Parts: sequence; C-alpha cells; structure tokens
Amino acid sequence: MDLASKTYDVADVHAVQELYHANGWTDGLPIVPPTQDAVHACLDWAMIPPDQLLGIEPVRGVPITAEKLAINAVMAGCLPMHFPAVVTAFVAMLEPEFLLHGATASTGGCAVFIVLSGPVCRELGAAGSFNALGNSDRATATIGRAIRLALINILEVRPGGIDRSTLGHPGKFSYCVAEDEADSAWLPLHAQRGLPPEVSAVTVMAAGAPRQIMNEWTTEPEEILETFAAEMRANMRHYSIWAGNYALIIPKQLREHLQVARWSKTDIAAFIFERARIRRGEWAAVGKGKVVRDRGESEYAALESPDHLLVVAAGGPAGGFGAVIPPWLGHKSRAVTLPIGACVDCEPPER
Amino acid sequence: MALKVLDPTNETVPPLGQTAPRLTSLAGKTVGFISNGKEGTKGFFAHLDRLLREEFGVADVVMRVKSNYSAPADRDIVDEIARWHAVVTGIGD
Repeated sequence: MDLASKTYDVADVHAVQELYHANGWTDGLPIVPPTQDAVHACLDWAMIPPDQLLGIEPVRGVPITAEKLAINAVMAGCLPMHFPAVVTAFVAMLEPEFLLHGATASTGGCAVFIVLSGPVCRELGAAGSFNALGNSDRATATIGRAIRLALINILEVRPGGIDRSTLGHPGKFSYCVAEDEADSAWLPLHAQRGLPPEVSAVTVMAAGAPRQIMNEWTTEPEEILETFAAEMRANMRHYSIWAGNYALIIPKQLREHLQVARWSKTDIAAFIFERARIRRGEWAAVGKGKVVRDRGESEYAALESPDHLLVVAAGGPAGGFGAVIPPWLGHKSRAVTLPIGACVDCEPPER
Repeated sequence: MALKVLDPTNETVPPLGQTAPRLTSLAGKTVGFISNGKEGTKGFFAHLDRLLREEFGVADVVMRVKSNYSAPADRDIVDEIARWHAVVTGIGD
C-alpha cells in the first residue's frame, strides 16, 4: 500500500535537517531522513498497514495512523524491530486513564516514562543495566525519542504550543528504560500488573524527572526501602502531595539485598504503601504553610493502594543507588501497561 | 544524494468549532467563567466578576469549575455555554 503523506524532494541529508528544523518537526537534534523505504520497513516489521488507525486523540479528535507514527519512529532513529514497542506505547497513551492531552500540555512539564519488559528487552538489546536511566542503549534511546517526536509532530505538542511546560525535564528527549529481567528474581513489571509473565509489554507513565537516592550502608530491606520512601515523602512535600503512580528503579546492588531476604515486588509495595505518607502540616516546614489551613494533622499517602507502585529492576551492577520516579500530578494520569503485538483472540483491555 | 522524505505531521486538520459572533457591548449580558479550580483562580475570577458588573454593566456572571483541572471541561459545563453570551476561560495557575 502506498504511503499517503506529503513528500519533499531534498538535495542531501543536510538539507533534510534544515527542512525539518525549519518546520519545527524536530526536538532540536538531527533526525534520520524518513524515506518511504525506511517507513515501509517499520510498518512491514510490525505487520501494520500504513492507514491503520491506531487511535484518536480524544480532546482534539486527531487521528493517529500507523504511517505517521512510523515516520516519526524513523526520524528518531528506530530500527524496524523497535517499531512495535513504539506502537504499543502510543496506543497505551491513548487509553483514557492516561489523560494524554493533560499529561502532554500541562505546565507541570512531565514526560512519558516508558518501561519495556519481557523477552523484547533481550531481542532489542535493551539491557537495563549500566546507565539505565540515561543513554544506555540504542533501543531505549530511540523508542523514547520516537514517542516525543510523534507528540511534537502528530499532536503538535511543541513548547509554547500545546506543550505549556514551565520547565519540562531531560526525559522529554527520551525517557525509556528496559527492565533487567535476566538479572532479577522478581516478576517482570507487566506480570506484576496482571499480564502473563511470558509476554513482552510496554508500560507508560506520565512522570517527573528521576530523584536519585543512595544507601550503601545497610543490607536490611526495611532500611533500604525507607530511603526510597523518604524520597517519596520529599516529593510530596516539595512537589505534589497527591497520591499517584510512583516508579522505584532498583539496581542490582540494592536489589540483591532485597532478594536475599526474599522480598518480592509485592512485599516492597506493601512496605512503601505504609511508609510513604506525610501529614499536610509538613508543608509548613517547606514554605507552603498557607495551604495547610486547618488540616495540618490530615495524613496523605503517596499511593492509593500498594499496586500503584511500579517496581522496576534496572541499573548497573555496582552502586547503592536507586531512583524514585514521581507521577506528573497524582492520579490525573494513570500508568498503563499493554502487551506488544497483535493477538487475534484477545479481548480489549477492561475499562 | 537527493532524497524524497515524508511529512511527519498530521496533515489532516481536525474540525474546529466556529468562533461565536463578537459582542458589541457586555451591558446586560450573561458571562460565564470556566475555572480550572486552581488556588490562584479564586482571586482572579472574583476581581473579573466585579469588573464586568461594575464597569461593563454585565447583568449576570455564572461561575463553573471543572472537576479535573487537567482535563477538558465537563460535558454539563460545555452544554451550559449555549445559555451564555460570552465565556472566559484559559490556562494557568
């Protein structure tokens, strides 16, 4: 099937860069020229026709076609094998509970945090080890960037346009991590969230920047997790008190202490649920006394329930570090997990 | 090397609503406010309410607050707009 997009004849790759930058079609970095062959290769790999409607952005009624998403994936540097993860992430973002318009337009400046889990991580070379939240590998770098470019170009989420972020954060270039399942005794994230363990999946979450923690001075699970909980409490005091999805990124060194003690992801979530709480009155100590009012003793939990915590095994092998990834703003947006790939027998996800 | 490259944008423009006819005067009119409900909006809309009534002769000001400040206005608020002569809304904190 022919592609429907308008084409431009350009002299060379440098002219492509200038054309795309001049039209506001990039994130400021160079792009890979989206030629018809490259776009067809992505679509063929995913076995999706170019005119397939992946969804409709609900606020402005913008159709998202596979062709447009593939063009942006190519521009981001994706190989054809990366495209199914891009498709799944975007479809997940179109689920109503993700609140795509709010999450991409808000002054709060969140990014779409993407977690790859299941066999796809190994297939794509998305390792989830060294520098997991940074420039760790080609797959996570390009998949995360594809989502941003698609938001910019298909949904016009440009700074000062639809994107009203006051600050944003570096994750808005690319914010994708692979779970390190090869080196973890835990259930993968998607299994923890109700999908069969053997599938590959993408989880999306509207998220702030990572908040790094360090605790190299204990092997006790409660003490390790108390440091994570304290960082969540800090986020509640300094940023937003409202409960939402939080992600904990737990690298191998701290993970091993937890696993030796036989703490599962469920155990971790239960502990964090109890410990990540503050009283509204704590706002007074950080300059927000005016909004405490007469509710100083009211207790707020970071999580509505333990299953709102996304525990992700990722990070290099050494270092007593971890990260808390906070929600954009409470439960305005909820994390969504979808399996990668077509399933002719599957029912639509439950609402 | 010459290249043929593709447009990455959504080339189909989604349908837009039509702009309502402009009012020549606010005197005697009903003006609706759609607030996102954030803390800072209270003083802003209270001031605007007073300004519209006292300086522009607005007959009535209707204040509505969205149930979710990050989502589009609730259906019942949107339906109510037809009963107003003008509406004030926007983004911000």
